[in-house]
Amino acid sequence: MKIEKDRKGQELTLTLSGRLDTTTAPTLEQELQQSWNDISTLILELKELDYISSAGLRVILTAQKHMLKQGSMKLRNLSDNVREVFEMTGFADIMTIE
Amino acid sequence: MIAPANGGDSMRNTFLKWLFAFIATAFALTFGISFLVQTRQARENAVLLIRLRISDARRQLSVTEGNLKRISEMTSAMALIKARAFAGFIEQSPELLTSREKLQEIRRMLDVDELHVSDQKGILIASVPEEYHGYDMASAAQSAAFLPAISDPSFEMVQEPQRKGSDSEMFQYAGVARIDQPGIVQIGYHPRRLMEAAQLADIRNIAAGFRIGTRGAIIICQNHQILSYGGANLSKTDLIAARINQENLLNQKIFRTHVGNQEFLGVAEKFRDYWIVGILPTNEMYLRRNSVVGVLVVVDLLLFALVFVLVSILVQKIVINGIYRINASLKKITSGNLEEKVQVTNTDEFKALSKGINATVAALKNAITETAARIDAELQFAHTIQVSGLPDPNPVFPQQVPFTLAASMKTAKEVGGDFYDYLLLDDDHLWFMIADVSGKGIPAALFMMTTKTLLHKLAEKGLSPKDIFEQSNREICARNKTGMFVTAWMGILELGSGRLECANAGHNPPLLLHADGSSEFLKIPPGLVLGGMETSKYRGSSLYLKPGDRIILYTDGVTEAQNPKGDFFAEKRFQQVMEKHNQASVTSQQLLAEINQAVSCFADGAEQADDITLLTLEFNGKTPTCLTLPAELEQLQSLQEFLEKHLLQAGISDKICSQLQLAAEEVFANIARYAYPAQAGNAGISLQILPHPKGKIILQFRDNGIPWNPLTKSPPDINLPADQRPVGGLGIFLVRKIMDDCLYQYQNNQNILTLTKYLPAE
Repeated sequence: MKIEKDRKGQELTLTLSGRLDTTTAPTLEQELQQSWNDISTLILELKELDYISSAGLRVILTAQKHMLKQGSMKLRNLSDNVREVFEMTGFADIMTIE
Repeated sequence: MIAPANGGDSMRNTFLKWLFAFIATAFALTFGISFLVQTRQARENAVLLIRLRISDARRQLSVTEGNLKRISEMTSAMALIKARAFAGFIEQSPELLTSREKLQEIRRMLDVDELHVSDQKGILIASVPEEYHGYDMASAAQSAAFLPAISDPSFEMVQEPQRKGSDSEMFQYAGVARIDQPGIVQIGYHPRRLMEAAQLADIRNIAAGFRIGTRGAIIICQNHQILSYGGANLSKTDLIAARINQENLLNQKIFRTHVGNQEFLGVAEKFRDYWIVGILPTNEMYLRRNSVVGVLVVVDLLLFALVFVLVSILVQKIVINGIYRINASLKKITSGNLEEKVQVTNTDEFKALSKGINATVAALKNAITETAARIDAELQFAHTIQVSGLPDPNPVFPQQVPFTLAASMKTAKEVGGDFYDYLLLDDDHLWFMIADVSGKGIPAALFMMTTKTLLHKLAEKGLSPKDIFEQSNREICARNKTGMFVTAWMGILELGSGRLECANAGHNPPLLLHADGSSEFLKIPPGLVLGGMETSKYRGSSLYLKPGDRIILYTDGVTEAQNPKGDFFAEKRFQQVMEKHNQASVTSQQLLAEINQAVSCFADGAEQADDITLLTLEFNGKTPTCLTLPAELEQLQSLQEFLEKHLLQAGISDKICSQLQLAAEEVFANIARYAYPAQAGNAGISLQILPHPKGKIILQFRDNGIPWNPLTKSPPDINLPADQRPVGGLGIFLVRKIMDDCLYQYQNNQNILTLTKYLPAE
């Protein structure tokens, strides 16, 4: 999995590509923890994310909970596979998906 | 039990019979005694009556005799007065002796019939009637009796009446001496009143005036002669024939005799030298008795009938009803209702009896309950032993195998005579069979256990079904003392090729469900049942199963299941149910559940008559692909690559491939994290892809870690808002979402999780 960071003031955009699974989720979690303290908007660009497992969902839910306290989080351009997992788990209803 | 037996006498009838006998005897005794007493009384009364009549007769006789004497004296006195008066007339007017008219006038005046006057020689000188004129008084004894009057002036005499003249009428003469000169003055007359009185006073005439009762009579006898008798319808001949004139009969004083054809009671009394006999017809004498006895009979009958009815009602109420009620209760108890209580409390005895019976039944119930509990426990134990003697109905084999096998057995009783068995002979051969021992219950179960052991041993030797049947049949026949037998169907499946070698020993033909949805009964030539005949030969048959084919072995408990109307479930219905559920999405276990459900629905509460046993074998065609990895998260990549490679090779779509990878990751991550907390371990993964028409993917995970069933984890609530949702717990939830069937088993120290995904139709 690759993570690209793009910070514009209070807005952080992370572009994920590849597979967010048990082995790669901790990387994303570390990255978020480093950067989410002084932002008000978190955007996850998921156009290139092919695959997500529960480990990835866990990180995203943690991020959502965190951002609810200090701003907002948006998910962008979900691939079919990822969108299906979001729908299965009810994540599609509790997150802002663009 | 005390329930009245058919054909025997009921207590009520016996009682009534005896009561009737007693009352009838009492009635007869009463009747007999009254009859005797009344008879005696009647006889005494009759004797008394007769004696009274006899005494009346005597009294009357005395009275009339007295009368007779007085009349006789009066008549005599009157006659003498008349004779003297005539003598006086002659003294005063002697000339009248010559005047016929004067004499006639005197005769009329004196009211006599004859007048005679004699001279001193006793020759009649004047007479009325005149023809006696000149008659010499001395010429006859009767008239000579008056001659002393010639010499004795005080002579007077009244002669006894004597018969006289042609009509022999009684006639009496009275005479005195002449006053004017010696001679006789005589008058003659018919002493009618005297004769009447005499007649009245004559004992011989008494009889006619007396009647005793209606037809009784008084009879006067003297010197064996019947002088007179009264009463109607009696004839002298009959009386003589009845010996009523015989002293030896009369001396009995009271006697019975037949006059004519009528029986009479007779009483005889001596009176002077007469016998006065009174007789009374016995039927007359018993007339009163008969009416008294008749009334008595009627009254007695009524009385005894009343007593009979009252006593029988009383007994019915006090005893019989109680006994009937007890019997009714006992009948219920006998027929199995131990809850029934006997409650007959109308008498102390019945109270005690009811209490006793209730106590006995309670004790019996306890004993039965205890025994039943013990037997139940033993049967339950036997059931456990029997079931544990059968192989796992939902087996998982140590290695991945290209088939699924499931079995079910529902015994009609706690233990049964059906069994199934299977054995993986080697990597490429599966032996399986089903059998049905004749009979049910414990004998069948015992026979089943030995037969199963025998067949299993022979299978282990690697014999063909035909040979197994022939050898086992010989052994079973050799020690079959009870005449039991077994029907069996047996097959050996070659896993690589799908070749099925099979044989039938008198068993129902299995149902073959083809992958394309069609079905047929697998009818191979059947041999004789095992244990039937020592020399039985069996024929082996073989066929090839295609991937997706299922073979269903069953016992006749399925096809011969009956509904309350008595219809059989039958092969046709069995085949229909099986065809209906022969789909890729229906697992072998589900298929068995469906048929069991269908049979149960059909039976509709009717008791299961026979064991219902089923074994289904689904041939998947290809041996699965396997991978063994160390259970570490780092190995996830290898797993994903393995899956991707085989799934894409098999032409599975990207999307499904991705879903399976997700499910596999979640399961593998679980194993890597939790299965081996202490030491390192491996995880085995096998993948089986079944082609259409029953396309499905079977993914199986095995590990030797701590036993843990991930499927028991409750799913997260996915409707909670983000801030309330826990961050974990989604892994197994996703697995369940993605896969169509998840099965967890723990066998041989292995956690085995089998995930199945059906492929959408193309």
